[in-house]
Amino acid sequence: MPLEILLVLVVGGIAGITVMLHMTGRSRLRRLTPEIARSEWLRHAPDDEVIDVTVANDGHAALIRTEKGNGVLWSFGADTVARHLLDFDVMDHPQGVEVRFHDFGTPKAVIHLDETERRHWQHLMEPA
Amino acid sequence: MIDQVTFPDAVQWAVPLFIAAILAEFLWIAVKGRGGRYETRDAVTSLIMGAGNIASGFLLGFIAYAFFMWLWQITPLNLGTSIPVIILCFVLDDLRYYWVHRFGHRIRWVWASHVNHHSSQHYNLTTALRQTWTYTFTFMMVVRAPLILLGFHPAMVLFVGGLNLIYQFWIHTEAIGKMPRWFEAVMNTPSHHRAHHGRNARYLDCNYAGVFIIWDKMFGTFVPEQEDDQVDYGLVHNIGTFNPLRVAFHEWVGIWRDATQPGLTMRQRLAYCFAPPGYSHDGSRDNSEQIKAKHLARHPEDRGTPGFEQFDAKQPNTQAKQA
Repeated sequence: MPLEILLVLVVGGIAGITVMLHMTGRSRLRRLTPEIARSEWLRHAPDDEVIDVTVANDGHAALIRTEKGNGVLWSFGADTVARHLLDFDVMDHPQGVEVRFHDFGTPKAVIHLDETERRHWQHLMEPA
Repeated sequence: MIDQVTFPDAVQWAVPLFIAAILAEFLWIAVKGRGGRYETRDAVTSLIMGAGNIASGFLLGFIAYAFFMWLWQITPLNLGTSIPVIILCFVLDDLRYYWVHRFGHRIRWVWASHVNHHSSQHYNLTTALRQTWTYTFTFMMVVRAPLILLGFHPAMVLFVGGLNLIYQFWIHTEAIGKMPRWFEAVMNTPSHHRAHHGRNARYLDCNYAGVFIIWDKMFGTFVPEQEDDQVDYGLVHNIGTFNPLRVAFHEWVGIWRDATQPGLTMRQRLAYCFAPPGYSHDGSRDNSEQIKAKHLARHPEDRGTPGFEQFDAKQPNTQAKQA
Protein backbone atom coordinates (compact mmCIF):
# COMPACT_ATOMS: atom_id res chain seq x y z
CA MET A 1 0.00 0.00 0.00
CA PRO A 2 1.39 3.46 -0.86
CA LEU A 3 2.75 5.13 2.27
CA GLU A 4 0.66 8.31 1.77
CA ILE A 5 -2.57 6.33 1.71
CA LEU A 6 -1.52 4.30 4.74
CA LEU A 7 -0.72 7.52 6.63
CA VAL A 8 -4.08 9.08 5.74
CA LEU A 9 -5.91 5.93 6.83
CA VAL A 10 -4.05 5.65 10.13
CA VAL A 11 -4.23 9.33 11.09
CA GLY A 12 -7.80 9.73 9.82
CA GLY A 13 -8.91 6.51 11.48
CA ILE A 14 -7.44 7.45 14.88
CA ALA A 15 -8.85 10.99 14.70
CA GLY A 16 -12.30 9.82 13.60
CA ILE A 17 -12.59 7.13 16.25
CA THR A 18 -11.37 9.56 18.95
CA VAL A 19 -13.99 12.16 18.03
CA MET A 20 -16.73 9.53 17.81
CA LEU A 21 -15.93 8.09 21.24
CA HIS A 22 -15.66 11.49 22.91
CA MET A 23 -18.87 12.81 21.36
CA THR A 24 -20.78 9.74 22.48
CA GLY A 25 -19.75 10.18 26.13
CA ARG A 26 -17.00 7.57 26.33
CA SER A 27 -14.60 9.98 28.05
CA ARG A 28 -16.42 10.03 31.37
CA LEU A 29 -14.41 9.14 34.45
CA ARG A 30 -15.48 6.31 36.70
CA ARG A 31 -17.38 7.55 39.76
CA LEU A 32 -16.61 5.91 43.07
CA THR A 33 -18.80 5.23 46.07
CA PRO A 34 -17.39 3.64 49.24
CA GLU A 35 -18.78 0.26 48.14
CA ILE A 36 -17.36 0.55 44.62
CA ALA A 37 -14.00 1.73 45.98
CA ARG A 38 -13.83 -1.20 48.38
CA SER A 39 -14.67 -3.77 45.71
CA GLU A 40 -12.30 -2.17 43.18
CA TRP A 41 -9.48 -2.23 45.75
CA LEU A 42 -10.06 -5.92 46.35
CA ARG A 43 -10.10 -6.49 42.60
CA HIS A 44 -6.63 -4.97 42.41
CA ALA A 45 -5.32 -6.38 45.70
CA PRO A 46 -7.32 -9.52 46.51
CA ASP A 47 -5.07 -10.50 49.43
CA ASP A 48 -5.88 -7.33 51.37
CA GLU A 49 -8.42 -6.76 54.11
CA VAL A 50 -9.96 -3.33 53.81
CA ILE A 51 -10.38 -1.53 57.14
CA ASP A 52 -12.00 1.65 55.89
CA VAL A 53 -12.50 3.78 52.81
CA THR A 54 -12.43 7.57 52.36
CA VAL A 55 -13.84 8.72 49.04
CA ALA A 56 -12.96 12.19 47.74
CA ASN A 57 -15.89 14.57 47.35
CA ASP A 58 -15.53 14.57 43.57
CA GLY A 59 -15.93 10.76 43.55
CA HIS A 60 -12.81 10.06 41.52
CA ALA A 61 -10.39 8.88 44.18
CA ALA A 62 -10.40 7.01 47.46
CA LEU A 63 -7.96 6.50 50.26
CA ILE A 64 -8.05 2.89 51.39
CA ARG A 65 -6.83 1.77 54.80
CA THR A 66 -5.88 -1.91 54.89
CA GLU A 67 -4.17 -4.12 57.41
CA LYS A 68 -1.07 -3.88 55.18
CA GLY A 69 -1.09 -0.08 55.20
CA ASN A 70 -2.73 2.70 53.24
CA GLY A 71 -3.37 2.86 49.53
CA VAL A 72 -4.88 5.13 46.92
CA LEU A 73 -7.45 4.11 44.35
CA TRP A 74 -8.35 6.51 41.58
CA SER A 75 -10.46 6.71 38.46
CA PHE A 76 -8.54 5.84 35.35
CA GLY A 77 -10.87 6.51 32.46
CA ALA A 78 -13.79 4.14 32.89
CA ASP A 79 -11.71 1.95 35.18
CA THR A 80 -9.55 2.34 38.26
CA VAL A 81 -5.92 1.97 39.29
CA ALA A 82 -4.77 1.20 42.82
CA ARG A 83 -1.45 1.53 44.58
CA HIS A 84 -0.29 0.89 48.10
CA LEU A 85 1.42 3.94 49.56
CA LEU A 86 4.90 2.47 49.89
CA ASP A 87 7.41 4.46 47.81
CA PHE A 88 5.76 7.81 47.12
CA ASP A 89 5.79 11.58 47.55
CA VAL A 90 2.79 13.83 48.08
CA MET A 91 2.96 17.28 46.50
CA ASP A 92 0.54 20.15 46.70
CA HIS A 93 -1.43 20.64 43.52
CA PRO A 94 -3.70 23.58 42.60
CA GLN A 95 -6.66 21.20 42.55
CA GLY A 96 -5.71 19.04 45.52
CA VAL A 97 -2.69 16.80 45.85
CA GLU A 98 -0.41 15.00 43.46
CA VAL A 99 0.87 11.60 44.54
CA ARG A 100 4.10 10.55 42.82
CA PHE A 101 4.84 6.84 42.85
CA HIS A 102 8.39 6.63 41.44
CA ASP A 103 7.04 4.12 38.94
CA PHE A 104 7.50 4.63 35.18
CA GLY A 105 4.23 2.84 34.41
CA THR A 106 2.24 4.73 37.04
CA PRO A 107 4.05 8.01 37.53
CA LYS A 108 1.44 9.97 39.45
CA ALA A 109 -2.17 10.48 40.42
CA VAL A 110 -3.69 13.93 40.70
CA ILE A 111 -6.42 13.82 43.33
CA HIS A 112 -8.94 16.64 43.36
CA LEU A 113 -9.61 17.75 46.92
CA ASP A 114 -11.03 20.86 48.54
CA GLU A 115 -9.05 22.56 51.28
CA THR A 116 -10.65 20.63 54.15
CA GLU A 117 -10.20 17.34 52.36
CA ARG A 118 -6.62 18.13 51.47
CA ARG A 119 -5.58 18.50 55.11
CA HIS A 120 -7.46 15.36 56.06
CA TRP A 121 -5.94 13.30 53.23
CA GLN A 122 -2.43 14.54 53.89
CA HIS A 123 -2.85 13.54 57.50
CA LEU A 124 -4.13 10.10 56.48
CA MET A 125 -1.29 9.61 54.01
CA GLU A 126 1.44 10.28 56.55
CA PRO A 127 3.46 7.16 57.23
CA ALA A 128 2.37 5.45 60.46
CA MET B 1 14.12 -16.76 -9.73
CA ILE B 2 12.53 -17.71 -6.44
CA ASP B 3 14.73 -15.35 -4.38
CA GLN B 4 12.74 -12.54 -5.94
CA VAL B 5 9.48 -13.89 -4.57
CA THR B 6 7.31 -11.13 -3.16
CA PHE B 7 4.20 -11.29 -1.03
CA PRO B 8 1.97 -8.37 -0.07
CA ASP B 9 2.23 -6.82 3.40
CA ALA B 10 -1.09 -8.22 4.55
CA VAL B 11 -1.29 -6.20 7.77
CA GLN B 12 -1.03 -2.88 5.96
CA TRP B 13 -3.76 -3.89 3.53
CA ALA B 14 -5.97 -4.88 6.43
CA VAL B 15 -5.93 -1.38 8.00
CA PRO B 16 -9.22 -0.30 6.31
CA LEU B 17 -10.80 -3.53 7.56
CA PHE B 18 -9.58 -2.80 11.10
CA ILE B 19 -11.15 0.68 11.07
CA ALA B 20 -14.45 -0.55 9.62
CA ALA B 21 -14.66 -3.42 12.11
CA ILE B 22 -13.99 -1.10 15.07
CA LEU B 23 -16.80 1.18 13.91
CA ALA B 24 -19.11 -1.82 13.49
CA GLU B 25 -18.27 -3.18 16.94
CA PHE B 26 -18.79 0.23 18.55
CA LEU B 27 -22.18 0.63 16.85
CA TRP B 28 -23.18 -2.88 17.85
CA ILE B 29 -22.36 -2.18 21.50
CA ALA B 30 -24.13 1.21 21.36
CA VAL B 31 -27.28 -0.23 19.81
CA LYS B 32 -27.47 -3.45 21.81
CA GLY B 33 -26.20 -1.99 25.09
CA ARG B 34 -23.99 -5.03 25.67
CA GLY B 35 -21.03 -6.84 24.14
CA GLY B 36 -18.17 -4.75 25.43
CA ARG B 37 -17.00 -1.32 26.54
CA TYR B 38 -15.16 1.55 24.87
CA GLU B 39 -13.31 4.38 26.61
CA THR B 40 -11.81 7.24 24.66
CA ARG B 41 -8.28 7.47 26.05
CA ASP B 42 -7.90 3.72 26.34
CA ALA B 43 -8.91 3.25 22.71
CA VAL B 44 -6.74 6.10 21.46
CA THR B 45 -3.73 4.67 23.31
CA SER B 46 -4.36 1.29 21.72
CA LEU B 47 -4.66 2.80 18.25
CA ILE B 48 -1.45 4.82 18.67
CA MET B 49 0.31 1.67 19.84
CA GLY B 50 -0.91 -0.02 16.66
CA ALA B 51 0.37 2.82 14.48
CA GLY B 52 3.68 2.73 16.33
CA ASN B 53 3.93 -0.99 15.73
CA ILE B 54 3.69 -0.41 11.98
CA ALA B 55 6.25 2.40 12.25
CA SER B 56 8.64 0.19 14.22
CA GLY B 57 8.30 -2.38 11.45
CA PHE B 58 9.44 0.23 8.94
CA LEU B 59 12.34 1.31 11.16
CA LEU B 60 13.56 -2.02 12.57
CA GLY B 61 12.05 -4.68 10.32
CA PHE B 62 15.21 -4.77 8.21
CA ILE B 63 17.10 -6.44 11.08
CA ALA B 64 14.88 -9.53 11.11
CA TYR B 65 14.63 -9.54 7.33
CA ALA B 66 18.42 -9.42 6.90
CA PHE B 67 18.72 -12.32 9.37
CA PHE B 68 16.11 -14.33 7.47
CA MET B 69 17.75 -13.66 4.10
CA TRP B 70 21.08 -14.81 5.50
CA LEU B 71 19.43 -18.05 6.64
CA TRP B 72 17.86 -18.38 3.21
CA GLN B 73 21.25 -18.12 1.58
CA ILE B 74 22.79 -20.86 3.70
CA THR B 75 19.94 -23.37 3.53
CA PRO B 76 20.11 -25.90 0.70
CA LEU B 77 16.32 -26.44 0.88
CA ASN B 78 13.67 -24.65 -1.16
CA LEU B 79 10.05 -25.76 -0.91
CA GLY B 80 8.79 -23.29 -3.52
CA THR B 81 5.65 -21.20 -3.27
CA SER B 82 2.81 -23.56 -4.15
CA ILE B 83 -0.51 -23.24 -2.31
CA PRO B 84 0.02 -26.43 -0.24
CA VAL B 85 3.44 -25.11 0.84
CA ILE B 86 1.90 -21.77 1.84
CA ILE B 87 -0.77 -23.60 3.87
CA LEU B 88 1.86 -25.78 5.54
CA CYS B 89 3.93 -22.69 6.26
CA PHE B 90 0.88 -21.01 7.83
CA VAL B 91 0.26 -23.96 10.17
CA LEU B 92 3.91 -24.31 11.19
CA ASP B 93 4.22 -20.56 11.67
CA ASP B 94 1.20 -20.72 13.98
CA LEU B 95 3.08 -23.31 16.03
CA ARG B 96 6.01 -20.86 16.06
CA TYR B 97 3.61 -18.14 17.24
CA TYR B 98 2.38 -20.33 20.09
CA TRP B 99 5.89 -20.74 21.48
CA VAL B 100 6.93 -17.12 20.97
CA HIS B 101 3.75 -16.07 22.73
CA ARG B 102 4.37 -18.53 25.56
CA PHE B 103 7.92 -17.22 25.94
CA GLY B 104 6.35 -13.76 25.92
CA HIS B 105 4.51 -14.58 29.13
CA ARG B 106 7.16 -16.69 30.84
CA ILE B 107 10.40 -14.81 30.13
CA ARG B 108 10.47 -11.27 31.47
CA TRP B 109 12.74 -10.04 28.67
CA VAL B 110 10.10 -11.03 26.12
CA TRP B 111 7.23 -10.01 28.41
CA ALA B 112 8.69 -6.48 28.41
CA SER B 113 7.75 -6.29 24.75
CA HIS B 114 4.42 -8.13 24.98
CA VAL B 115 3.10 -6.59 28.22
CA ASN B 116 1.71 -3.53 26.46
CA HIS B 117 -0.78 -5.73 24.58
CA HIS B 118 -2.23 -6.73 27.96
CA SER B 119 -2.08 -3.30 29.54
CA SER B 120 -5.65 -2.26 28.73
CA GLN B 121 -8.42 -2.99 31.21
CA HIS B 122 -10.76 -3.10 28.22
CA TYR B 123 -11.24 -5.86 25.67
CA ASN B 124 -12.46 -4.65 22.30
CA LEU B 125 -11.15 -4.53 18.76
CA THR B 126 -8.86 -1.59 19.55
CA THR B 127 -7.14 -3.80 22.14
CA ALA B 128 -6.06 -6.06 19.28
CA LEU B 129 -4.09 -3.15 17.84
CA ARG B 130 -2.30 -2.35 21.14
CA GLN B 131 0.87 -3.95 19.81
CA THR B 132 4.54 -3.85 20.75
CA TRP B 133 7.10 -1.36 19.50
CA THR B 134 10.07 -3.32 20.83
CA TYR B 135 9.67 -6.86 19.46
CA THR B 136 13.00 -6.67 17.61
CA PHE B 137 14.83 -6.30 20.94
CA THR B 138 13.45 -9.63 22.21
CA PHE B 139 15.37 -11.49 19.46
CA MET B 140 12.39 -13.80 19.09
CA MET B 141 12.97 -13.74 15.34
CA VAL B 142 15.31 -16.69 15.95
CA VAL B 143 12.25 -18.89 16.57
CA ARG B 144 11.41 -18.46 12.88
CA ALA B 145 14.84 -19.72 11.82
CA PRO B 146 13.80 -23.41 11.54
CA LEU B 147 11.04 -22.52 9.07
CA ILE B 148 13.46 -20.76 6.74
CA LEU B 149 16.13 -23.44 7.13
CA LEU B 150 13.45 -26.00 6.16
CA GLY B 151 13.00 -24.19 2.84
CA PHE B 152 10.13 -21.75 3.38
CA HIS B 153 11.00 -18.46 1.71
CA PRO B 154 11.38 -15.53 4.17
CA ALA B 155 8.82 -13.44 2.29
CA MET B 156 6.30 -16.27 2.62
CA VAL B 157 7.05 -16.71 6.31
CA LEU B 158 6.45 -13.00 6.93
CA PHE B 159 3.29 -13.11 4.80
CA VAL B 160 1.71 -15.97 6.75
CA GLY B 161 2.77 -14.25 9.99
CA GLY B 162 0.80 -11.22 8.83
CA LEU B 163 -2.24 -13.40 8.10
CA ASN B 164 -1.89 -14.84 11.60
CA LEU B 165 -2.03 -11.36 13.14
CA ILE B 166 -5.02 -10.42 11.00
CA TYR B 167 -6.85 -13.55 12.15
CA GLN B 168 -6.23 -12.57 15.76
CA PHE B 169 -7.82 -9.16 15.27
CA TRP B 170 -11.45 -10.31 15.30
CA ILE B 171 -11.08 -12.45 18.43
CA HIS B 172 -10.52 -9.35 20.58
CA THR B 173 -14.18 -8.76 21.25
CA GLU B 174 -16.85 -9.35 23.85
CA ALA B 175 -19.55 -8.92 21.20
CA ILE B 176 -19.24 -12.58 20.19
CA GLY B 177 -20.04 -15.18 22.83
CA LYS B 178 -19.19 -18.67 21.69
CA MET B 179 -18.67 -19.96 18.17
CA PRO B 180 -20.03 -23.37 17.05
CA ARG B 181 -18.61 -26.24 19.10
CA TRP B 182 -16.46 -27.67 16.29
CA PHE B 183 -14.93 -24.24 15.71
CA GLU B 184 -14.21 -23.68 19.41
CA ALA B 185 -12.53 -27.12 19.47
CA VAL B 186 -10.00 -26.33 16.75
CA MET B 187 -9.69 -22.58 16.35
CA ASN B 188 -8.73 -19.73 18.63
CA THR B 189 -11.92 -17.78 19.31
CA PRO B 190 -13.07 -14.67 21.18
CA SER B 191 -13.98 -16.86 24.15
CA HIS B 192 -10.57 -18.58 24.33
CA HIS B 193 -8.70 -15.33 23.87
CA ARG B 194 -10.79 -13.46 26.46
CA ALA B 195 -9.52 -16.01 28.96
CA HIS B 196 -5.96 -15.33 27.79
CA HIS B 197 -6.40 -11.62 28.57
CA GLY B 198 -7.71 -12.30 32.07
CA ARG B 199 -5.83 -11.17 35.17
CA ASN B 200 -7.90 -13.55 37.29
CA ALA B 201 -5.67 -16.17 38.92
CA ARG B 202 -7.45 -18.89 36.93
CA TYR B 203 -6.59 -17.39 33.57
CA LEU B 204 -2.92 -16.50 34.12
CA ASP B 205 -0.61 -18.11 31.56
CA CYS B 206 -3.21 -19.86 29.41
CA ASN B 207 -4.40 -19.96 25.78
CA TYR B 208 -1.29 -18.77 23.95
CA ALA B 209 -2.65 -19.81 20.55
CA GLY B 210 -2.68 -17.54 17.54
CA VAL B 211 -5.01 -19.28 15.10
CA PHE B 212 -5.32 -22.92 16.20
CA ILE B 213 -6.22 -23.57 19.85
CA ILE B 214 -5.03 -27.14 19.40
CA TRP B 215 -1.50 -26.11 20.40
CA ASP B 216 -2.70 -25.17 23.89
CA LYS B 217 -4.54 -28.46 24.16
CA MET B 218 -1.42 -30.34 23.01
CA PHE B 219 0.95 -28.54 25.38
CA GLY B 220 -1.32 -28.36 28.42
CA THR B 221 -2.02 -24.62 28.58
CA PHE B 222 -5.69 -24.59 27.56
CA VAL B 223 -8.20 -23.08 29.98
CA PRO B 224 -11.78 -22.60 28.75
CA GLU B 225 -13.58 -19.38 29.68
CA GLN B 226 -15.77 -20.06 32.71
CA GLU B 227 -19.28 -18.67 33.01
CA ASP B 228 -18.90 -18.41 36.79
CA ASP B 229 -15.53 -16.61 36.64
CA GLN B 230 -15.98 -13.53 34.47
CA VAL B 231 -12.76 -12.37 32.87
CA ASP B 232 -11.18 -9.31 34.48
CA TYR B 233 -9.00 -7.78 31.76
CA GLY B 234 -5.61 -6.18 32.22
CA LEU B 235 -2.44 -6.77 34.20
CA VAL B 236 -2.01 -8.24 37.67
CA HIS B 237 -0.68 -4.77 38.57
CA ASN B 238 -2.51 -2.45 36.22
CA ILE B 239 -0.55 0.54 34.99
CA GLY B 240 -1.82 4.07 35.55
CA THR B 241 -0.91 5.81 32.33
CA PHE B 242 -2.37 6.34 28.87
CA ASN B 243 0.95 7.75 27.60
CA PRO B 244 2.00 5.47 24.70
CA LEU B 245 5.71 5.96 25.47
CA ARG B 246 5.21 4.80 29.05
CA VAL B 247 3.01 1.92 27.88
CA ALA B 248 5.64 0.82 25.36
CA PHE B 249 8.66 1.01 27.63
CA HIS B 250 7.49 0.64 31.25
CA GLU B 251 8.56 -2.97 31.68
CA TRP B 252 11.96 -2.34 30.08
CA VAL B 253 12.48 0.47 32.59
CA GLY B 254 11.35 -1.91 35.34
CA ILE B 255 13.90 -4.52 34.26
CA TRP B 256 16.64 -1.90 34.23
CA ARG B 257 15.78 -0.62 37.71
CA ASP B 258 15.48 -4.12 39.16
CA ALA B 259 18.61 -5.58 37.57
CA THR B 260 20.86 -2.63 38.39
CA GLN B 261 19.95 -2.21 42.05
CA PRO B 262 22.97 -2.54 44.31
CA GLY B 263 23.86 -5.64 46.27
CA LEU B 264 22.56 -8.34 43.93
CA THR B 265 24.41 -11.39 42.72
CA MET B 266 24.84 -11.89 38.97
CA ARG B 267 22.33 -14.74 39.13
CA GLN B 268 19.74 -12.43 40.70
CA ARG B 269 20.37 -9.75 38.08
CA LEU B 270 19.90 -12.28 35.28
CA ALA B 271 16.75 -13.59 36.96
CA TYR B 272 15.28 -10.07 36.93
CA CYS B 273 15.86 -10.09 33.16
CA PHE B 274 14.89 -13.62 32.18
CA ALA B 275 12.90 -15.33 34.96
CA PRO B 276 9.11 -15.42 34.72
CA PRO B 277 7.41 -12.08 35.47
CA GLY B 278 6.90 -11.66 39.21
CA TYR B 279 10.37 -12.84 40.21
CA SER B 280 12.02 -10.94 43.04
CA HIS B 281 15.23 -11.70 44.91
CA ASP B 282 13.62 -10.90 48.26
CA GLY B 283 10.25 -12.60 47.78
CA SER B 284 8.40 -9.28 47.72
CA ARG B 285 6.50 -10.11 44.51
CA ASP B 286 4.40 -13.01 43.31
CA ASN B 287 4.70 -14.91 40.07
CA SER B 288 1.69 -16.59 38.48
CA GLU B 289 2.09 -19.88 40.38
CA GLN B 290 2.18 -18.00 43.67
CA ILE B 291 -0.84 -15.92 42.71
CA LYS B 292 -2.75 -19.10 41.89
CA ALA B 293 -1.67 -20.70 45.17
CA LYS B 294 -2.82 -17.67 47.14
CA HIS B 295 -6.13 -17.67 45.28
CA LEU B 296 -6.67 -21.31 46.22
CA ALA B 297 -5.89 -20.49 49.84
CA ARG B 298 -8.76 -17.99 49.72
CA HIS B 299 -10.99 -20.15 47.49
CA PRO B 300 -10.21 -23.82 48.12
CA GLU B 301 -13.38 -24.73 46.24
CA ASP B 302 -11.57 -23.84 43.00
CA ARG B 303 -8.92 -26.52 43.51
CA GLY B 304 -8.77 -28.84 40.50
CA THR B 305 -11.03 -26.66 38.33
CA PRO B 306 -9.80 -25.31 34.95
CA GLY B 307 -6.70 -23.19 35.39
CA PHE B 308 -5.88 -24.80 38.75
CA GLU B 309 -5.36 -28.42 37.67
CA GLN B 310 -1.69 -28.33 38.56
CA PHE B 311 -2.64 -27.92 42.22
CA ASP B 312 -4.87 -30.99 42.09
CA ALA B 313 -2.70 -33.38 44.03
CA LYS B 314 -1.04 -30.84 46.29
CA GLN B 315 -2.05 -29.96 49.78
CA PRO B 316 -3.46 -26.49 50.43
CA ASN B 317 -0.52 -24.14 50.76
CA THR B 318 -1.20 -20.75 52.23
CA GLN B 319 2.52 -19.98 52.42
CA ALA B 320 3.25 -19.77 48.71
CA LYS B 321 6.78 -20.64 47.73
CA GLN B 322 8.93 -17.81 46.55
CA ALA B 323 10.69 -18.07 43.20
